[in-house]
Amino acid sequence: MITFATISFLGLPLLAILLLNIVRKETGGTISINIGFVVSIIQMIAAVVCLSLLWLHGKDFIEFSLFWDMNATLGSARFSVDLFSLVVLFCIGMVSLASLLTAKKTIGAKALNYTNLLMVIMLGMNGIAVVTDLFSLYVFLEITGIASFVMIALLHDKRGLEGAFKYLVMSAIASALILGSLALIFTQTGSLVYGDVANALADWRNAQYAPLLVVAFVAFIAGFSIKAGIAPFHGWLPDAYQSAPASVSVLLGGIVTKMAGVYAIIRVLNSVFVSMPMINQTLLILGLISIVFGAVAACGQRDFKRILAYSSISQIGYIIIGIASGSLLGFVGAMLHFFNHATFKTTLFVNSAAVEAQTGTTDIDQLGGLQARMPVTAVSSILAFLSMAGIPPLAGFWSKLLIIIAVWQSASVAGGAIALAASIFTAAYFLILQRKVFFGPLEDHLTEITEAKGTISLAAVLLSIVTVAFGVLFPVILNFLHLQGIL
Amino acid sequence: MEGQGIIFICIFVPLIGAFLLPIIGRFMPRLRNILALLFVLTAFISAAIALPQALSGTPILWQMELPLGFTMGFLADGLAVFMAMTSSLVASIIVFYSFGYIEHYPNQNEYYMMVVLFIGSMMGLVFSTNLLLIYLFWEISAVCCWRLIGFYRGKDIVLRADKAFLVTVGGALLMLIGFISIYVQTGTFNLLDMQGNAISNAAMVLILFGILSKSATLPLHTWLPDAGVAPSPVTSLLHAAVLVKIGVYVYARLFLVNFQLDAVWETAVPVIAGVSALVSAGAAMIETDIKRIIAYSTISQLGFIFLGLSCGTMVGAAGGLLYILMHSLAKGGLFLCAGIVEHSTHTKDINKMGGLAKCLPITAVAFACCAFSVMGIPPFGGFFAKFMVINGAATSASPWVSVIFIIGAVMTIIYLLRVFIKVFFGEITHPDIKEGSWEMVSSVSILAALSLLGGIFINLPSYVTTFIIESLGRW
Repeated sequence: MITFATISFLGLPLLAILLLNIVRKETGGTISINIGFVVSIIQMIAAVVCLSLLWLHGKDFIEFSLFWDMNATLGSARFSVDLFSLVVLFCIGMVSLASLLTAKKTIGAKALNYTNLLMVIMLGMNGIAVVTDLFSLYVFLEITGIASFVMIALLHDKRGLEGAFKYLVMSAIASALILGSLALIFTQTGSLVYGDVANALADWRNAQYAPLLVVAFVAFIAGFSIKAGIAPFHGWLPDAYQSAPASVSVLLGGIVTKMAGVYAIIRVLNSVFVSMPMINQTLLILGLISIVFGAVAACGQRDFKRILAYSSISQIGYIIIGIASGSLLGFVGAMLHFFNHATFKTTLFVNSAAVEAQTGTTDIDQLGGLQARMPVTAVSSILAFLSMAGIPPLAGFWSKLLIIIAVWQSASVAGGAIALAASIFTAAYFLILQRKVFFGPLEDHLTEITEAKGTISLAAVLLSIVTVAFGVLFPVILNFLHLQGIL
Repeated sequence: MEGQGIIFICIFVPLIGAFLLPIIGRFMPRLRNILALLFVLTAFISAAIALPQALSGTPILWQMELPLGFTMGFLADGLAVFMAMTSSLVASIIVFYSFGYIEHYPNQNEYYMMVVLFIGSMMGLVFSTNLLLIYLFWEISAVCCWRLIGFYRGKDIVLRADKAFLVTVGGALLMLIGFISIYVQTGTFNLLDMQGNAISNAAMVLILFGILSKSATLPLHTWLPDAGVAPSPVTSLLHAAVLVKIGVYVYARLFLVNFQLDAVWETAVPVIAGVSALVSAGAAMIETDIKRIIAYSTISQLGFIFLGLSCGTMVGAAGGLLYILMHSLAKGGLFLCAGIVEHSTHTKDINKMGGLAKCLPITAVAFACCAFSVMGIPPFGGFFAKFMVINGAATSASPWVSVIFIIGAVMTIIYLLRVFIKVFFGEITHPDIKEGSWEMVSSVSILAALSLLGGIFINLPSYVTTFIIESLGRW
């Protein structure tokens, strides 16, 4: 059972890629999307199974390997899943499912290409989640990155190519920084396995080439900040999100950049750079800049997807400061916010996909009063936005609260207060978008618009249920985490 | 402990029931209306049932133990039950009034859902024993308020709804920062665990921002007159009877019941309230939009409530509570009367009205009764409340504050008489208009009658409020 569940994280997307390319190209469309459904649903189930096994056996993590002996000494990658990676794996499954549901309605003739790429990207992200050494991390980062460039340009339109190119260039710089940093770390520590590097770095200040290590840390943070789109490294992100096809934006905004950037930072910070307060301080400042900058910039945007892109920058900031607080509470808060962000941001990108599919535009100045015509989209977007703005009892409030308390207690009072007060900007762009798109009077040229029926609405409804349920049941979750000894 | 069920009924029947209303409304609008009224009445009745036990000294308490000091609970003490009864009583009448007022407009499903949800969150807020729960219900009420103000969906109407949302949420966020600073000090959000704690001035300032923004007090009051673009029952509900009372209630809950305040606030808060009362009374004198006048009058009267609660004397505090009740009844009535006038004449400009007493006799009488109560003319209920508040202030540490409020009271009389005379007397401008529907007229009559009866039988409410304040054991 447990072997099957763990192996499915990497094996299943690989198997699916094989399957997808056996069927005939002409009939492959719907079948391929359905295969995608199966893979993402199994991944969610597998994550839940592993979580419950983890708790049943009282273990902190489960180690596994793919086709080789786990105990072989040299040159073999080892994988491991713990609470955080399982939560993240669940998110990957969930967002992929939402992306597929959106794609079913919007992707048309490109279904086979899309699903193939989705499987590659899932493989990459799952890999990031389960690896235990820095080099494998880099490999899976690249897999994820390359698949996403192609996905952004999937429709071969000019905007998509431009966005993909921007992302490609920035991402290449990031990769170079990360790879350079890995090389420096390797020369100084002689290993790239998380645990070994952490041990070797415990006393890094007295190392022979300590300045080199500092360079490595800086390059490392810069590289991952680009990947995560943390301000001021965010330049590529709004363009990439805006120009991608609807279902790809769902995927990018919901999970990809969070995996490639945020998850990797958190993982490395927690298992490699354990004893380095200066990295935490740097990240705290970067996180705060992101929060404020992203939210303020979002207020000035006129495109549905760009608003969401900037709000992603802002929300990633919260996850980053949570982890930068260095406390357990902050880590749990960051983990929960990771999950919540995946939920509400995916909802919003699905909503934008619905609006785009029905009206043909995401320019908010050309929209208005859509609530009367698209009630499901309108209500789910309100719920997602309120969750993002930290309005209780929705999910986003609780994770933000934990993060802010953690920052306040362990890192900086001002940081906590700023992060909380910045929520007002979140509320501001929420109001702007709602007023222009959904609330307000119905524009004359929109009276014929109907709700995006079928799978898009289904995705929005399912994700909204998760947001509301998580928020309302939070006391239960808190109690549960406490009983498990996590908090 | 026994009787916990009654709190749950009081909170969760409207809170959960609200979400059923749009579903029912799709098929049976009539049933939806009746259910909406029923849910709010349920809250009132269950609060009334909880009253004897609340006053007996062993209030009903329900708690859920949570780690990290998040322990949540509901407590039905005298203050909470009094507030729950006041708001659900006025809210029931307002919902009943809506039957007539709202029936010709679209989005009724959303309207009833938001009104009932709003009452549910109010019930939740008054019983909460946890700062986070207070914040939670506070924000739900802000969201409802936002949807309700924007009910008519016009471009500038939605803009004003957004303004109200931003101001109250901005204030609430500052308040939450204050709450977190308290949490970091004490390690808990549970009010019962920090009874009698001193609170830092920084936290007090932050929390005060939240309270002032919600209770529309200077300098965070501007959203309230603007919110007059909402349907009249909504303005009545939000801006007279319930929403603005959330701020004063939380003030009472935190600073009368729970925390020790620095002595400086016994002067500072009355001064803020006094300035607010005077400035807004001045604004009410020059406005020509009937709903804006009444809205400014609300801001002004809220100053009196703050004065009573913050002046540091027992009479004042009891008067402040009594004021909440009397003001909710009378101001709710005034807004509903304004609604009837607006409905009949299709204008809100008092210069374009005159002699309406001829065609709208019942509304005119009801308006007069409610206005007298707000002015503080005996034997209406408002008189006793105003008397107790000013009496309390005059015997407090800084008696000179009461002078400001006496001036404010005089101004109240002037601007309300001005409205009344302009609208109901003089040259007849609208000769062929009719009274509102029977639901609307009977609602305002009930509120007017209650304002009068509340004054004639002042013993009962004043006994309850004095008892509640005495049992706090502060003085």
